[in-house]
Amino acid sequence: MEQSGTSTLLQGAVQDIASGVVSALRGGDHARAVPPAGTDGEAGELALAAVRVLGSDALLPDLLLRTPTDPAQVALFRKAVEAYPPRADAAPTVRWSHWGMARTLRRVDPSYTAGPPDEPGTGWLDDATWQFLTHQLAVLAPLALPGEDCALGRLAGRRPVDVARGFVRAVRRRDWRQAAGAGRWLTLLSGVPDTVGLEAGLDFVELMGGQDPLVALHVQAARRMRAGALV
Amino acid sequence: MRPEETVREVTGIQSADIEAALDPVEADGVYRDSRQCAALALLSGSTKLLLSPPTPRPKKG
Repeated sequence: MEQSGTSTLLQGAVQDIASGVVSALRGGDHARAVPPAGTDGEAGELALAAVRVLGSDALLPDLLLRTPTDPAQVALFRKAVEAYPPRADAAPTVRWSHWGMARTLRRVDPSYTAGPPDEPGTGWLDDATWQFLTHQLAVLAPLALPGEDCALGRLAGRRPVDVARGFVRAVRRRDWRQAAGAGRWLTLLSGVPDTVGLEAGLDFVELMGGQDPLVALHVQAARRMRAGALV
Repeated sequence: MRPEETVREVTGIQSADIEAALDPVEADGVYRDSRQCAALALLSGSTKLLLSPPTPRPKKG
């Protein structure tokens, strides 16, 4: 399906920021993971929208590496949280993404006290097939962080075999983004069958789809988490 | 002016575009060919990765 010009513009901006995050996770320049809040004009406004789409992963290097977040990046992140609250009829993934950003913001910006009082529900996944469950979890992969309890994570934790099946299915379908996101969740779950071959699977996902910064981001995040990075 | 309105004015991006990006439909599946399966086998070494079992073939004789 052909994307609109606006959508293409936004996706490009998301990929640019994701590239910065990947570089930072690989030991590159942390400061450029997110454009500074002072970025002017169209580029700055586009970055704001892109940060909202990327969600908490925009600050992932600092979250995983426990490094202090640059105040300018915090300011941009906060602006994105405040500018784009979910609409009343927003999809659950939109609500969860925003909730995750607010949680991250409370962590990096103690002056931020607002935010959704309660977690969004997980009812839309109660009877989800393993295929749909995996797809939705992969979309919400920025919430897959060690040491961060939430209802979505608990739900995933009750269905490790289903997520593992979804990971394998995504690999076989060459849906690298879904595979990378599901693989990231699997690194946090117990009860994942050894036969999945998660480590080699993530290598393969990176080999085949790693030119997409969003794929590379989730694979790098998974590796960092497997290596014991704590939030 | 709210930041969202500014974004819309300059880039044409609206909340609906952002929400669409955060609620994507599943991509169509594209299945691997045999060369990629071979690459997967090489990558997984002696172990670990699940590969499709070979297509059953009739026994000779």
